[in-house]
Amino acid sequence: MASTENLREKIKSKRKALQASLGGSRQVDDNRASVAVEIENGARNENARKVEEIQNEDEQVENLKRTMKAQRQRRKKMLIDDIDDVHSEESIQEVNIITHQQRTLPPLPVPTPRTSFAEYSMREKMREKLKAARSKAQSAIQQEEASAPPQHLTPFKDQTSVIQFDTEVDEEDMKTAGVDELPHPSSKVRFHEIANKIKQKSKDGFPSAEEAYNFFTFNFDPEPEEAEEKSKKQKRVGAPKKIDHEEESEGDWDEEESTIRTEAEEEEEGEEEDQPLVKDNMDNEDDYLFIIDQTARDFLVIRAPDYESYYSRQQKDKKVLFTPSILTVATSEKIPEDMQPRFLEDEGIYVGERPKVSKSNQNILEHRLLKNKEGKKWFGSDGRIIALPNPIKQTYTRPPIFSLHEKVDPAIETFYKKAEKSIDDNRYIAGSMELQGRFQLDIDISGIVFTHHPMFSREHVLAAKLVQLYDQYLCRQQHNLAGLYSDKLCALRNAVKSITDYHHVHISVTQRRLVEYKSEIRTTRRMCHMEQEKDWTLLKNLVKVWKDVKSLREFQKFTNTPVKLCLRRQQINRKADEINYEREIQTEVAELLEDYQEEYENKLAEYKKKYEEWKAWRKAKKAKKKKKKSSDEQETDDTEESSMFEEFPKPDPPEQVDVSLVEQQVRTTAARIRRKPGEPVLTPELSMTATVTPTNQCPRGEQLRRQDVQRSTLYAKIIFNNKEVSRTSSQTLSADFRIHFGQIFNVQIINWPESIKIQIFETMGMSSTKTEVFIPIPETTVLTGSALIDEIEFSNAHRITFDHEGVGSGVPFSFEADGSNQMILLTSGKLACSVSWAVREDGVPLIPPVLHENVGVQRSLKHVDAILSIGTSGLTDMKKLARWAAESRLDPNDPSNACLMQLIMSATSGEALDHDYFRLEQLQEEFNFVSDEVFNKSKRFRLLQLRNEEVAEFHNFKQVPILDREISEKIFQEYEKKCHEKDTVDITSHLDPHRALVARFLQKVRDSVKNRFLLAKHHYILSDMVVEEAVPSISSGDSRMLGISLFKLAEPRRPLRPRRKERKKVTAQNLSDGDIKLLVNIIRAYDVPIRKSIGGKPALTSRSARSINETFSTSQIPQSPTQSHEWFTNQTSVRPFVEVSFQRTVRQTSTAEGQNPNWNEELEIPFRAPNGDYSTASLQSVSDDVFINVFDEVVYDVLEDDRERGSDVHTRVERHWLGAVQVPFSTIYSQSRIDGTFRINTPPVLLGYSKERNLSSERGWEAVRSLSEGSYLSLFITVEPHLVPGEAVNEKMIEMLRKLETQEDEKLLQKAEKFQKEVKQKFPNRRCVTLVTDLTGKLVFITRFIKALSPPQELLDAFPQDYEATTELVARYVSLMPFLPDSISFAGICDLWCTSDQFLNLLAGDEEEHAVLLCNYFLAMGKKAWLVIGTAIPEGPTAYVLTYEQNQYVIWNSTTGQYYGQFDAFCPLQSVSCLVSADNVWFNVQKYETVMRVHFDTSKPNLWKPFFSRNFPFPGLSSVQPEELVYRRTDKAAAVELQDKIEKILKEKIMEWRPRHPTRWNRYCTATLRQFLPKLEFSRGGEVGDDHSAELQNQLGDYRISGFPINMSFSELSPIIEAVHSTGVHNTMIPQVEFALAVYVHPYPNNVLSVWIYVASLVRSR
Amino acid sequence: MAELHIIGQIVGASGFPHKSLFCKWGLQTGCAWKLLSGLREGQTQVDNPVIQDMAYWSHPIDVHYATKGLQGWPKLYMQVWHQDSFGRNELCGYGFCHIPSSPGTHDIQCVTWRPLGTWQEQLSQMFVGGGPQLKHSDLIYTGADRYRLQTMAMGKVHLQLSIILRNFDQYGVEY
Repeated sequence: MASTENLREKIKSKRKALQASLGGSRQVDDNRASVAVEIENGARNENARKVEEIQNEDEQVENLKRTMKAQRQRRKKMLIDDIDDVHSEESIQEVNIITHQQRTLPPLPVPTPRTSFAEYSMREKMREKLKAARSKAQSAIQQEEASAPPQHLTPFKDQTSVIQFDTEVDEEDMKTAGVDELPHPSSKVRFHEIANKIKQKSKDGFPSAEEAYNFFTFNFDPEPEEAEEKSKKQKRVGAPKKIDHEEESEGDWDEEESTIRTEAEEEEEGEEEDQPLVKDNMDNEDDYLFIIDQTARDFLVIRAPDYESYYSRQQKDKKVLFTPSILTVATSEKIPEDMQPRFLEDEGIYVGERPKVSKSNQNILEHRLLKNKEGKKWFGSDGRIIALPNPIKQTYTRPPIFSLHEKVDPAIETFYKKAEKSIDDNRYIAGSMELQGRFQLDIDISGIVFTHHPMFSREHVLAAKLVQLYDQYLCRQQHNLAGLYSDKLCALRNAVKSITDYHHVHISVTQRRLVEYKSEIRTTRRMCHMEQEKDWTLLKNLVKVWKDVKSLREFQKFTNTPVKLCLRRQQINRKADEINYEREIQTEVAELLEDYQEEYENKLAEYKKKYEEWKAWRKAKKAKKKKKKSSDEQETDDTEESSMFEEFPKPDPPEQVDVSLVEQQVRTTAARIRRKPGEPVLTPELSMTATVTPTNQCPRGEQLRRQDVQRSTLYAKIIFNNKEVSRTSSQTLSADFRIHFGQIFNVQIINWPESIKIQIFETMGMSSTKTEVFIPIPETTVLTGSALIDEIEFSNAHRITFDHEGVGSGVPFSFEADGSNQMILLTSGKLACSVSWAVREDGVPLIPPVLHENVGVQRSLKHVDAILSIGTSGLTDMKKLARWAAESRLDPNDPSNACLMQLIMSATSGEALDHDYFRLEQLQEEFNFVSDEVFNKSKRFRLLQLRNEEVAEFHNFKQVPILDREISEKIFQEYEKKCHEKDTVDITSHLDPHRALVARFLQKVRDSVKNRFLLAKHHYILSDMVVEEAVPSISSGDSRMLGISLFKLAEPRRPLRPRRKERKKVTAQNLSDGDIKLLVNIIRAYDVPIRKSIGGKPALTSRSARSINETFSTSQIPQSPTQSHEWFTNQTSVRPFVEVSFQRTVRQTSTAEGQNPNWNEELEIPFRAPNGDYSTASLQSVSDDVFINVFDEVVYDVLEDDRERGSDVHTRVERHWLGAVQVPFSTIYSQSRIDGTFRINTPPVLLGYSKERNLSSERGWEAVRSLSEGSYLSLFITVEPHLVPGEAVNEKMIEMLRKLETQEDEKLLQKAEKFQKEVKQKFPNRRCVTLVTDLTGKLVFITRFIKALSPPQELLDAFPQDYEATTELVARYVSLMPFLPDSISFAGICDLWCTSDQFLNLLAGDEEEHAVLLCNYFLAMGKKAWLVIGTAIPEGPTAYVLTYEQNQYVIWNSTTGQYYGQFDAFCPLQSVSCLVSADNVWFNVQKYETVMRVHFDTSKPNLWKPFFSRNFPFPGLSSVQPEELVYRRTDKAAAVELQDKIEKILKEKIMEWRPRHPTRWNRYCTATLRQFLPKLEFSRGGEVGDDHSAELQNQLGDYRISGFPINMSFSELSPIIEAVHSTGVHNTMIPQVEFALAVYVHPYPNNVLSVWIYVASLVRSR
Repeated sequence: MAELHIIGQIVGASGFPHKSLFCKWGLQTGCAWKLLSGLREGQTQVDNPVIQDMAYWSHPIDVHYATKGLQGWPKLYMQVWHQDSFGRNELCGYGFCHIPSSPGTHDIQCVTWRPLGTWQEQLSQMFVGGGPQLKHSDLIYTGADRYRLQTMAMGKVHLQLSIILRNFDQYGVEY
């Protein structure tokens, strides 16, 4: 028994563990299952059961154990008979145990992860049956159970409770069990087999699909007899509590199941079990073996599908279904039995018409209703279904809409719009959605009044003057400012008086107010005097002019004008007036005196203070003197000197004001500005009542004039956006030179109004004159009806003279007989007109939505109203206005301010103001996620928005961070700063304040131009969107091409003569970093400077510098044996190599040798666009330069020990900069390739090198060239892949511009276009420039830029004798103007031409500006000069200057100041296409365009096609250049300051570039160099090098110096730094190297600065 | 601060009585919405399909909004226009649809209508083209009194919009 006890314990623990492990998962499954299962009942009991279960848990366990034991024993017996029963496995076992615990939940019908539903329910059933069996055992009715040991039966109570519990579950189980009911659980064998199968499979977890299918479809054959038998048995047994009969019927095989279970448990306990269990295991094994033999086929029976005959089905259906018949129901059935149907209609009661329902449907419904309980209530007393009357009305209730235009809500109004073509104008007002009809401007031209007209007679002139004065008088009279001020003065005086009268106590407030009042009085008095004076002089002038008129009329004996001035005298009481006058003077005097007194007192106080000081000082001085005397005599001088120095002036006491003097003053002013006392008041009155002398009584001249006047007619054209839209009727000029048109023009517009212009045409016989008046575009608030007629003045500069009395225009004439006092009057007048926005009939103004382009439109309305002058749209900050009003002390009583005051009052009262609007989105605030501040503060949003707006700083900003905190505040700082301080000058970044200003100005111009073109840029044309490769066709003009290519096929291959092939162009959009490379092919160089017996000299100098005075150039001293290690470096004259640096990437060629090295190497340099933006505009604005530097590689032997020479090589390589070529990337980009020979910019002095050709004798042709020509480098530069230059954009821009605005004559424009087209056809490659864009974006004819302008006098005076030197100096001056390509400053826009004064102000420009300026200078110097338009290397399309001097043509490069003869082979100008002079443009129609082969004789029309010819003569275009250029003297001190700054910065930079080495500065050398630089400037880089280097070598004998001066024009600091960096001086790694750097800034007039930088490195020789 | 990013295209239009169509579109939002980047209105090209009836525009829309509130969720409104053989443009339909409020790609079909006009107008439309248009085009997306308008159903505009929402969940908006 001990073993069994032990066992029991074990089982217990095991079970618990299993419960714990599986409980969770099971529970979930069971829960799910419950839904499906709960069909019958039992669910209600569950809660109760749960509680019970918990209580019984332990007991159950106990019970289970006991029953198990009992069953085990039982089984032992049975084992022999039904060996098949022995099975089950762990999983089932576990599940059983668990279900035991969780019986509260119904069994699982769905397949679970562990077991299928069927399996589970089966198990469940088995379990139930086990229980039943148990109870049977306990009741001891069954004989089989008789052998059960008594102790197992003892806890009877517990057993029953468990059973009770189980049975309840069984009730739930009914359904699942019921499923199996029909195919009743069949043969045990089969079941077990299947169960075994499942067990087998479930070892891996799940039954396979096939098995599951088999399981479900398997037809367990019922065993009816047995079941019956068993049920009988069951009935006999009489289960203690409610057990369903189904359950009972199953009871019999439940017993078997129980055995299965127990066996399973035994299996589980297998290891511990004793002998019989081992046997069990054996049995199990047998089972396994047995199972293996089984297949699913063995369990299957193939059957025909069940067929139920239609009839039987019908019968079945009949039982469950009800099919209402469609036959009519008898009325009797529908009404209560004992009633007769009653027909209300027949009884005369109104019954509505029933809705129409088909009879059969109605019958069906009736049948159905009758079938129901209480179905009769649906029927009315007439036996029909109760129904409401038909709801459908026969008539329309919705009122028809008769007229669309009377009642339609304006909101949903539609209008008929004709189909029309869209207008392809990019300045179309409407956005995509704003096609809401037209906008309309009403232009009211009421008339013209001439204030001067050529046909004015002298009298008219005077009369006009008189009228003008009278108008002025009236205006003043109306304002009556003098009266206002004198009133104010009175009031103020009274106020002062009252204060002084009533407030004797001096309270600070009143005191202050008094002071305030007094100052007010002072200013008012001054104003009053001023106004009075004006009034008085006006009156006097009026009288004088009238007198003139009268005398003129007398003189000429006829009257021309009806003007008549009456002076009305108003007598006044002389005495009273006098008293008044006197009193006023007295008050004034008193006030003045008071002021003076005050002043005097102030002064006195000051004096006293000073006097005290002086006294003290004097005392001290005396004391000192005494002391001094006693002390040393020698020192006295010094002290006396110092005391003299400190001499304190004795203050003068202020003078008292003289009363009489003051009074005198007051009286004189009063006499000057006011009416004398007692004089009558004069009131002038102008009337038009004078009789004009009839024409026939006038002299001849006057008669002619009047006839002319009558003959002349006027009309006005209205030009809107440079297009004539309408014109007034023609009106004859009346005798009083007034014209009344009185016409209103309604201009319907669809374009943005850009300009409204009225041209007044005056025709007089044959001739006609044109005057233009620009009318401002009205504010959006100016509507028709409220608009005021505005008088706009105009004038005309035409010169008109007459041979009659008319005074003409622009001609001097005089009123005096002797012709003195001449005056010139120009035609002028006033146009009375008004422009306003029209208002539709319904009051909707026809104004385009936003008028944002009216910036810069000057308004003539300013004097109308204060508010208007500020502009209603601009009037946003009322507070500001109020503050301004308070500060400016607006007089609130002034009627002209009334409107403003009211506005301010309402604005300042603030909150009390009722708002005239309501919020549309009422609950917006309440539902906001965040407040506005937070919303607007978001840095991410801001960044995104700025990027979207294409703000320069953020354009193409990649990858905006997703979180705000990832965006640093710094990003915006610069932008904000820029926004903030648009006008303040930042001196830190720019060394020169003026440059900073220029930079800012350029930025502004750029912005404005950019904005202008932004619209055009976003306006795409087809070619922007669609790229179509032209199909080469044989028939068209391309046939030539095809022919050539065909010819090429037949061409012999010449591999030894490679040609550059045309590459395919790549559009810039789909490029990224690293795609673009710059290919630089360095071919060869000519005339590289050679070393001057290098190596030998320094060595020599080290020993003999002090003794030898001869210059180095002559010293040819052989190497000393000690320096023999340098012999090999000396064997070649120079070993140059080329280094190309671009965007700080450096590539270099190998080293070649000799003076004319040949490299022929290709260098590849990556190109990186700014911000990774490869758009055309961005590429155009790349301002990086390609620096091509030529260096000399010098090798020094640094071997210390001579003995090692045989074995070791120890050399140091030094590179010496020889010169550079600088090519801007923009040029490469626009040219796509650069091919040619360039002049190397060598410094004027290269220490240790000379340009002398030692080998010139070897080659004959080289000797031809002069020495000064310098060195040359052959290059080929291109961009790989071939980028499309942004030409298309530019062309479009120009197209745009042409449309936009120009002041040129229409004829000229047409001619220009024609001319250009003509020449383009003949010479497509030659550039013809006739119209250029000026800085304001207008088209200007090119000749207008050419005008003789004198260069600064300073330059002319520099070499009074030497004409050529002066010329060169001027050229140099021009070349010193900083160069800034337009394509950079106006990226993606177009070439803008500045006038020379603009250029001088901006101090930045490209070739055109330089050339124009130089050409203008040359013209002023009396030379024959032209502007040459052509192409050059490396600039590409450019402008040069051509002069004719001493029978030869000279070509000037204005940007470098170089000049070339016409037959100079190295002239950078490659082709000549246009010549421009001040009065004509010639186009090159010669066969050749190279400079050498071009004839420059413009008089031959077969060589040069002139623009202005006999057919189209030069119309005398006035120049856009100023009359004279004004030069400012450059501040020398500023230059010096700049010089120091640059030097300091450069030194810092050099140290920065040498981070790993100490940088020492040789001060002595620096000082020497500094002295030398001005000389260089003076000689303009001429040949002073030899002397200089000798001198330098003399002074710094111990050093080996290599260095050179660099000369640049100064624009900004960064190019200077870049230039110094590119020379690579700082790269010297020699230990002990010292540097010298000197900067010299030479100021030229107008702030043009020439910067010289001398950099040198010094190495101390041993 | 929630963000809404609309990326997609106006695919085309189908079911219109005319071929050769183009579309003007715009986005309308409440005042709480702020345009961060992208264009909020535009116009497509004219597509004249040769085969089949659907006009394809494939017009890209890429708009990025930030919002501080849900009111005024963006609406896309459009006008479909027809360009006739003379190059004249006439209105063919108005329509609008809300931008979907759930993230992901959405295929939207926007039905359109056009005002019918009086019989005189219809007659003249038949012969000389043109047609009635709304005087106030905001009526396309504002609901006020539109029911009184006599209209005629036109075709559909097909849209494909991908919606990216950000931070809406921070403010308790679920989708």
